[in-house]
Amino acid sequence: MSRLNSTRELEHLREQLREQRRNITTTVMVCGGTGCQASRSQTVIDAVRDELSRQGLDTKVRLCVTGCHGFCEQGPVIIIEPGNIFYCHVTPEDAFEIVYQTVMRGEVIERLLYTDPVSGEKIKTESEIPFYRAQDRQILSQNLMVDPCSIEDYIVGGGYSALTRALNGMAPDKIIKEIKASGLRGRGGGGFPTGHKWSECKEAPGDEKYVICNADEGDPGAYMDRCVLEGNPHLILEGMMIGAWAVGSRKGYIYVRNEYPLAVEHSRIAVKQARELGLLGDNILGSSFSFDVDIARGGGAFVCGESTALMASVEGKVGEPRAKDVHTVIDGLYHKPTVLNNVETWANIPGIILKGSSWFTSKGTRGSKGTKILALTGHIKNTGLVEVAMGMPIHQVVFDIGGGAVNGNPIKAVQIGGPSGGCLPLDKFDLPIDFDVLSEAGSMVGSGGMVVMDGRTCMVDVAKYFLTFLQDESCGKCVPCRLGIDRMLEIITEITEGRGKPEQLDLLEELADTVSQTALCGLGKTAPNPVLTTLRYFRAEYEAHINEKKCPAGVCKALITYWIDPDKCTGCGVCVQGCVYEAITGGKKQVHVIDTQLCQKCGICQSECKFDAVQTVWKERHQDVAICQS
Amino acid sequence: MLQYVKVNIDGAIIRAIRGTSVLHTALEYGICIPHLCHVPYLSDIGACRLCIVEHMVNGHSNVTTSCTLNVEEGMVIMTNTDKIRKLRRNLAELLVAQAPNSRAIQDIAVRCGVKEVRYPFRNGDCVLCGRCVRACNELWRAKAKGFVGRGKERHVDYPFGARPDFCKQCGACIQLCPMTIPPCDGPMKPGEERLCGQCESQLMTNEQAPGGCVWCKLGEGFGCGRYVGSRAR
Repeated sequence: MSRLNSTRELEHLREQLREQRRNITTTVMVCGGTGCQASRSQTVIDAVRDELSRQGLDTKVRLCVTGCHGFCEQGPVIIIEPGNIFYCHVTPEDAFEIVYQTVMRGEVIERLLYTDPVSGEKIKTESEIPFYRAQDRQILSQNLMVDPCSIEDYIVGGGYSALTRALNGMAPDKIIKEIKASGLRGRGGGGFPTGHKWSECKEAPGDEKYVICNADEGDPGAYMDRCVLEGNPHLILEGMMIGAWAVGSRKGYIYVRNEYPLAVEHSRIAVKQARELGLLGDNILGSSFSFDVDIARGGGAFVCGESTALMASVEGKVGEPRAKDVHTVIDGLYHKPTVLNNVETWANIPGIILKGSSWFTSKGTRGSKGTKILALTGHIKNTGLVEVAMGMPIHQVVFDIGGGAVNGNPIKAVQIGGPSGGCLPLDKFDLPIDFDVLSEAGSMVGSGGMVVMDGRTCMVDVAKYFLTFLQDESCGKCVPCRLGIDRMLEIITEITEGRGKPEQLDLLEELADTVSQTALCGLGKTAPNPVLTTLRYFRAEYEAHINEKKCPAGVCKALITYWIDPDKCTGCGVCVQGCVYEAITGGKKQVHVIDTQLCQKCGICQSECKFDAVQTVWKERHQDVAICQS
Repeated sequence: MLQYVKVNIDGAIIRAIRGTSVLHTALEYGICIPHLCHVPYLSDIGACRLCIVEHMVNGHSNVTTSCTLNVEEGMVIMTNTDKIRKLRRNLAELLVAQAPNSRAIQDIAVRCGVKEVRYPFRNGDCVLCGRCVRACNELWRAKAKGFVGRGKERHVDYPFGARPDFCKQCGACIQLCPMTIPPCDGPMKPGEERLCGQCESQLMTNEQAPGGCVWCKLGEGFGCGRYVGSRAR
């Protein structure tokens, strides 16, 4: 395609492309996101493509390999338009049936439909699935219609019209005013008002300015940035262009971790395509605005998601944060004014420019506007990416979208905001997803990771897990983060191993407070959150570990013993075969016994047993039981 | 030409040179803010966090390190509030528990009011203050050593673990290292570490003027204004 020299040429191209696609009757959308690729969606894509060409439907039916749909656990996922028919767990063998029955005849294949785990009913269309129904998908829904490797798809869907609107008739000040009016706050975790950031950068002295897209997402279990960047890279580019135009920047970077190969590839393709069309480069669409974007790949350090560490990494230095007494909007990348925003923040920009700030403020709460993508995982029936309007209560996300507890164990807590977030107990589930409310409760919206935990989770163990993660990922530059997290982990490890002392809880609290107040960067400042919130809401569990040497959830290995209930054991022998330490004895049809000397507490027998006979008991109780038995 | 700004540190209105740090200004004026990683002629990285102060902005107090905070007109700084003393004590406690075998760090602990150490001692031989690395990189431009690893594994080392030719063995790194000042009674063996600095003279100064000068070894070695002043007298 040739270079576009004016807005009119872009509109003309859009019309042309729409004309070309007029005779397409059916669209088959197959998810090609990382989640579905892991469920071998590439084989499904190839099979459907072969089948379509065999039936001679190439010109009438469009096969669209899209980005992530959000419902990754059901993958590979196919949606067929018209009809909005939703098939899940598709295999290559189903390709013939899908093309022959659904595409050609419009019949629905019952077998491939989604079964609602709550009601047990088969559901035909995507919009009727409870997981999707309760959501408000403003950004994720754009993933569905677009092939991330095709700029044509993006343009046909109205892409880059926010850019043309900004370039023709919206002065930079007007854009910043619009973003300020929208109340958009940084989606990466901090929640800083984006409009203020932009206007500070615009006011900052200096001709050379930078815009950066932060796609260095490292929270365990969270992947919304990956999903948006690999599913719709042109949306991010368009957002960055508008931002660059507003603050007066000519150069942008997308900092993406190399562990996201698909996101790296797709953003590279997108940049190349945009350059070919003249949407990046000098005098974009014939205007005076020039802007280019480079991809900077990160080596996968969690701390490089912190703004100053990220900038050091882009500069080619060691990814370590520095003191931010002068903000990065004044002294950022190469000591120039820099606007750094998260992927999701950039993704919101085109929508705000196109539909106006009043559309954006119509969703959300007083202090938090718009929608937020959450990565819902844990002990719930439906897991995946969900996008909800800000202000939705936690219980609605967990029970309506997530479908509630998966194993019948009652839900106990939810961990929001990744490793630096906090755990909230069930009685706080009526709190809304809102920056200010959640940080008041000791947690935070953060990047949007949401881990739901049921009764079999030990909260001390959860705090230990996150501290171990943060200890590994801390850069080690400042004392409170390096030594403070280490000492907190030391104390918590002692508690989980039954060596804790009551006075350690106060020390833990004091230390956590010191770390959060004195650490150098955001990682250290928020690192004690898992400890502080579990201490605040689940202090009884800590006390049980210390005073009674009990782990109420039966998780901490040093405090529990596995025991086979003779009343429930049928002597099937599954556990005997499963035990790699040969710690279980007992003949066929006889009650099995675990030798506690040999048992390494791996828990395999418990997960293998179909009769719920293997149980965890506290050490003393086990001794009582042993005495009774003898 | 030097430009001056007026800052308020602990109630004292001080005329400070624009572009200098709050820590520098306070030390020049004679207000002692404990510090470890700060060396006057090297860049400040804010690693030890001991020089934290309260910076009042619009009625809010921000806790931040004074070495990385530059003076600005009308700034209000408090270096010795209860909150800061408590935070500083906890940090000094972490440091002395990690590396008790240095009189410099033991003195800092006394200065910050550490009375007991609630963590098991570790007898480490580096607190990663980065003095040596910065002296080598910035002062001598030799770049013969740097930080290696992340988090718990972070340590100071030569490139690829071997002393390079461009290390001239000038000894600047050793001179600046706080770990080269041993405790009065000599180095402590593993298992025998304790919080020293309980000797009478230091304790008296500390008890009488909490947060005041304890004539720390770090100050003596690195030209603290008080030592220089007392010698001149």
